[in-house]
Amino acid sequence: MATARPVVSIYNFENPSEKTGTMPMPVVLQSPLRPDLVREVHRDMAKNKRQAYAVKPKAGYDTAAASWCTGRAVARIPRAPGGGTHRAGQAAFGNQARGGGMFNPTTVWRRWHRRVNVTKKRHAVACALAASALPPLVMARGHKINQVAELPLVVSDGIQSLTKTKQAKETLKKLGCGEELQKVIDSKSIRAGQGKARNRRYVKRLGPLVIYNEDNGITRAMRNIPGVECAHVDRLNLLRLAPGGSFGRFVIFTEGAFKKLSDIYGTLKSGAPKKKGYTLPRAAMVNADLSRIINSTEVQSVLRPKMERYTHGIKRNALKSKELMEELNPGSTERKAVQQKASQKGTPEFDAVQKKKKARIEESKKYNKEHKKGDETFYKTLMKAFEAKAAADAAKKAAEKADDEEDEE
Amino acid sequence: MAERYAISKVNVPEGAAVPELVKMKMEKEEKLAEEKKQALAAKQKAREEERAKLKERTVAYEKEYADTAAELVKLRREAKLNGNFFVEPEAKLIFVVRIAGIMKMSPKPRKVLQLLRLKQLHNGVFLKVNKPTLNMLKLVQPYVTYGYPSLKTVRELIYKRGFGKVSKQRIPLSSNDIISDALGKHGIHGMEDIIHEIYTVGPNFKQVSNFLWPFKLSSPKGGFVNKRHGYCEARGGDWGNREELINELLGRMN
Repeated sequence: MATARPVVSIYNFENPSEKTGTMPMPVVLQSPLRPDLVREVHRDMAKNKRQAYAVKPKAGYDTAAASWCTGRAVARIPRAPGGGTHRAGQAAFGNQARGGGMFNPTTVWRRWHRRVNVTKKRHAVACALAASALPPLVMARGHKINQVAELPLVVSDGIQSLTKTKQAKETLKKLGCGEELQKVIDSKSIRAGQGKARNRRYVKRLGPLVIYNEDNGITRAMRNIPGVECAHVDRLNLLRLAPGGSFGRFVIFTEGAFKKLSDIYGTLKSGAPKKKGYTLPRAAMVNADLSRIINSTEVQSVLRPKMERYTHGIKRNALKSKELMEELNPGSTERKAVQQKASQKGTPEFDAVQKKKKARIEESKKYNKEHKKGDETFYKTLMKAFEAKAAADAAKKAAEKADDEEDEE
Repeated sequence: MAERYAISKVNVPEGAAVPELVKMKMEKEEKLAEEKKQALAAKQKAREEERAKLKERTVAYEKEYADTAAELVKLRREAKLNGNFFVEPEAKLIFVVRIAGIMKMSPKPRKVLQLLRLKQLHNGVFLKVNKPTLNMLKLVQPYVTYGYPSLKTVRELIYKRGFGKVSKQRIPLSSNDIISDALGKHGIHGMEDIIHEIYTVGPNFKQVSNFLWPFKLSSPKGGFVNKRHGYCEARGGDWGNREELINELLGRMN
């Protein structure tokens, strides 16, 4: 919603290329746009002009038909009684029977009409009026407004006194509606569907809606121009402002009517003077520009900065990847290289290792020489354990042998 | 934190009029980029210091391992020399692997396995040896196999299959930063620190072991002998304590 109200030019009806004055835009025309609301209200309001239709109450049941029941080799459906005519014995009553009633007969007591809350209806009209002030919406609805000087199009009050259709047509053409009127004429075609046989033969597009304050002949002048409709500003109809539920009708205001809009609807603070207890609809969000809100300093100053995501990548095996091992275990490649040197001939590390080995072997030999010679070798110490037994065995054998010799002698 | 600022570059075509909001954004991003650069430089410096310290500690650990091994050898030799028996030190560290599946598990062993974080087949965890843990293992004997891992096994497990618990997620240990962030307050800043703490069952063993997500091992190449029976049975089996021989199994499962 604009903070300052824009100013609308009023065009001279006799010479539409000149402007007779300006007027601030009424607050109605700055109502929030609610296509959902308009669609809903239109849907329900449009049902109110419906005429009831139904089949005859007795349709299909005006026979004394009764079922023949089982046992007569025929289906159990009720059959017309009597004889002497084809009709006798024929099926009746069911929706499947010829001449029977329909399934779920249509009734006149169907709920044809809908009531809509008054406030809702008023809001929808305000919304539709606001839409008619926006060129993109009007163009989107299909009106040809390329030659029109300004939207909303306000014409001086003289137009209300036109009496001749010819003059009215000229005025409209001069105002830039020529293309629009031509569009209506070109669009006349025969209605698709049964309506053509029901006194609704032709269809054509809708043209401009002229909203006036005082009818000094304008309705009679305009009514025969195909597509043009007139409406008094006190009695604005949503079905005309948003035909088919789509807002953005091409509207031409007269100066008096435009001024009266402010008198009828007032402002958000004052309420609507001519509509008791009604205030124009407020927008759900005053500032609907989300990107501007998000990027404003007020919001950005309390946000923490955006962070990079943690990515852990694919797990690699440090035991296989030297690079990763160095990363996880700093200095490992160095140490490994030093270790490897020890097995390379010619390096000082290799020599050091060999020296140690030699020293160890020397030590061992020396020890053995000292402690393990003669009777202190491993074998000898081991066999010592058996010596006692061996001696006892030898003694026993000698004793036996002596006995044997004795025996022989 | 500032090193992770996501800076977006705004491409402005040459000579184009820059919208107000875009201009604001560009200024803001410049300031953040500056902060980020400084933070990255500080981080780099800290990282180098940390790595130098880790290197020293690692060398000290290697010496420690070598020394303890040499000490044991010396004591064994001494005992033999004196004709004594050397009583091997009892194991401090156990690695437990779940052998049984999840179907048809009795409630008590099921609960104990949950408490040990062995919720899946072939999951493994490091455990401290003490009365409570030994009693818990007693309850789940037929469903696990366990033993005393060697240093080589511990290293290989942690390097190959080491994942950490970072804000309840299983994050691979692809960088020492992850370890430092989680365990820095216990003085553990890298892989070698973790290995040392686990292998020597240090004062922060619980925190380190808990940080390590339960190891998900493969099924052993070459197979099990017979999971239905115990390792120590004559007919051959797999469950229960297999002491040092766990290393052979883990070599095939890792």
